[in-house]
Amino acid sequence: MDIQLLFFAAVKDHFPDLKRIEVSEGDSILNLRKILTHTNPSSESILKVSRFAVNQSIVGDDFVLKEGSVVAVLPPSSGG
Amino acid sequence: MSVLGTSSHIFSSPIFVSSELPDIPEMGGFVVFSGIVRNLNEGKKVTHLEYEAYAPMADEMIRSILADARKKWDLLHANCIHRVGKLEISEIAVIVETGSIHRAEAYDSNRYIIDRVKHEVPIWKKEFYIDGSSEWSKGCVHESH
Repeated sequence: MDIQLLFFAAVKDHFPDLKRIEVSEGDSILNLRKILTHTNPSSESILKVSRFAVNQSIVGDDFVLKEGSVVAVLPPSSGG
Repeated sequence: MSVLGTSSHIFSSPIFVSSELPDIPEMGGFVVFSGIVRNLNEGKKVTHLEYEAYAPMADEMIRSILADARKKWDLLHANCIHRVGKLEISEIAVIVETGSIHRAEAYDSNRYIIDRVKHEVPIWKKEFYIDGSSEWSKGCVHESH
């Protein structure tokens, strides 16, 4: 099933701004972290400290992805 | 431009501190915090910044933080707006306004709002240095202002 990925700030140094990828039924955010790290090993350190949001809500590693989920990879904030 | 009564909390155009206070007769204390782009960070000369946001999520999170502040304190006014895009030195990056009957609530809630916005809201800062290099801010643990 397809999900849409949004990358921001320092994570964009490792991935394009917008990406559509295929994941398996039942895959969680933890699986997605592993997929992304495997795709681009240099992203491991920034992915470790990044939060994930699905459809604009922060989710934990056990959150299970659904077809069409819009997943944002959010490195540590530095607002203000 | 007044920052009062705005419905969106993420702005791509310049923001300014308004001389106009909210028209609330019960309000006895009004606090404004401005986060300003400075020309130096961790010993490196900064020429300008670029702020990036996941705008719809950032807007909603700021709205939620303001609502939490209103639950914790008896506030008559609370607002926060944040710039995105390229900002020059001395431009305002963020404003937090709080108003209450007495000053204590306005001061305390203002600090609460800016601290949560800086730590939680998906907004990122890229610093550009005088030597031509640039770097994304590592996050709030390295923040000093």
